[in-house]
Amino acid sequence: MVSVLLLVGILVAVFVGYNVGGATTGPAFGPAVGADAISKTAAGVLMTVFFFVGAWTIGRRVVDTLGRELVRDPSVFTLEASIGVLFFIGAALFVGNFFGVPASTSMTAVGSIAGLGLAAGELNVAVMGEIAIWWIVSPFIGFWVSLIIGRYFYSSLNRRLAMTRSAGPLYRIDRSRRVPIPFPTDTTTWRELGGVTMVIAIGCLMAFSSGTSNIANAIAPLVGSGELEMNPAIVIGCAAVGIGTVTIARRTLETMGNELTELPLTAAIVTATVSASLVIFLSAIGIPASFVIIATMCIIGLGWGRATRPITVADAVRGEESVPVSVDALTADEEGNELPSIGDEDPERIPSAVDLFNPATTARVVLMQNIVPLIATVGAYATFRFVPIFGL
Amino acid sequence: MVSRVLVPIDDSKMSERALEYALEVYPDAEITVLHVVGKPSQMWGHATGLALADDLEDAAAEHAEPIFDRAREIVADAGGDAELETRIELGNPARAIIDRANDYETVVIGTHSGSVVDRVFVGNIAEKVVQGSPVPVVVVR
Repeated sequence: MVSVLLLVGILVAVFVGYNVGGATTGPAFGPAVGADAISKTAAGVLMTVFFFVGAWTIGRRVVDTLGRELVRDPSVFTLEASIGVLFFIGAALFVGNFFGVPASTSMTAVGSIAGLGLAAGELNVAVMGEIAIWWIVSPFIGFWVSLIIGRYFYSSLNRRLAMTRSAGPLYRIDRSRRVPIPFPTDTTTWRELGGVTMVIAIGCLMAFSSGTSNIANAIAPLVGSGELEMNPAIVIGCAAVGIGTVTIARRTLETMGNELTELPLTAAIVTATVSASLVIFLSAIGIPASFVIIATMCIIGLGWGRATRPITVADAVRGEESVPVSVDALTADEEGNELPSIGDEDPERIPSAVDLFNPATTARVVLMQNIVPLIATVGAYATFRFVPIFGL
Repeated sequence: MVSRVLVPIDDSKMSERALEYALEVYPDAEITVLHVVGKPSQMWGHATGLALADDLEDAAAEHAEPIFDRAREIVADAGGDAELETRIELGNPARAIIDRANDYETVVIGTHSGSVVDRVFVGNIAEKVVQGSPVPVVVVR
């Protein structure tokens, strides 16, 4: 017999999953939909499928961390407390979507559970410390990897990824056989086909990475409480995400210009690949990762690396040249243009929009991304400590 | 007598008030409206996206045009025949305004701009301009 309270818990978890689906389809498939590579419905379906694969294979490790290890005694996850934690996660998602302040769902989830653990005196400080260290280290890894790519590989990548969409549909469906198979039409070039495949593949990678890290946010409290088994919980969570990807995600895909789609395609692809890989790695070792912060540091790193490119390493070491450092250096190239090789370039050629990039302002932006999780942590602690309805 | 006035504007109600105030109080002054584009955004995508345009100046002008159109409407409504100078700057709004302020005798600015996101990611611009401006600042509410 399923109790009413468990039903409420599942409903709140479904609400969280639904919002996760709505919020993550944009960053993952925004570029593909924007390039007319796939329809919004196809994006939703791919998102759901790869989210599920990520959740089923690697995602359960993060569920374990959040639901069973972050608190020393999982019995603090009474049904009431689980619903409370899910409420904070849902509220953070709502604030993020409503006000446009990007909030890391994973950080909020860890924060609320830590708040609960602290209030109950059961927080596992060692696990919390490990997570916090990775939160500091991983954005820097993303920053440095992107910096190297921006400095040494961006121009050749840009050349290779040059993608112009030809007129006419990309493919036609051959229905003469038993199974309909899409065939490229005559107007479709191989290069175009490759580019489109790549954009879609990266969307799938992002969806997979989102599944590995985000499934825990919806179901970890319920799994931790022992009220729900891991596998059914994952299926329920993914179904909720799926509903989100084909409903609210349609709107977010077209209205909310997400920040990744404002970048040129090459930069978006690099940022997506680097940050998705990092998120998958962290999930594999059971650490809930913050995609928002990692991706931001990747964007900044890529631009910075690109900006430092006109001088050779030797010049830089000797300090003979100074260059304008700015994120917008990415703009110096149009996709697919020929570029002078490293060291040959005249620093003057890069537009001096240095003002668009300012270390203090950047630091502020990155710090502010932590504000919603911080509020959730304090709020969760205060609530669980002083409101006596959670059975602690 | 004040003859050169800088009015930083964005798409907020407060900056419209600031411009109306400036027109009323300095009817004979030469008024310049300044709009800053490419301000910091959540994941730095806005500034980067803007700068990625073929021509940075063109893209910036395109972003600023609706704002300037609104400013010209306000001037027309105030019955002024004043020539309105327009200026576009890039990046951090407060810094850009302060850098420009030296060329003017007074800065007239609205107390705050609209959205929560701007408050969080950019901060209160008027407050920073008051602190950093080399010339007197009039804050309009």
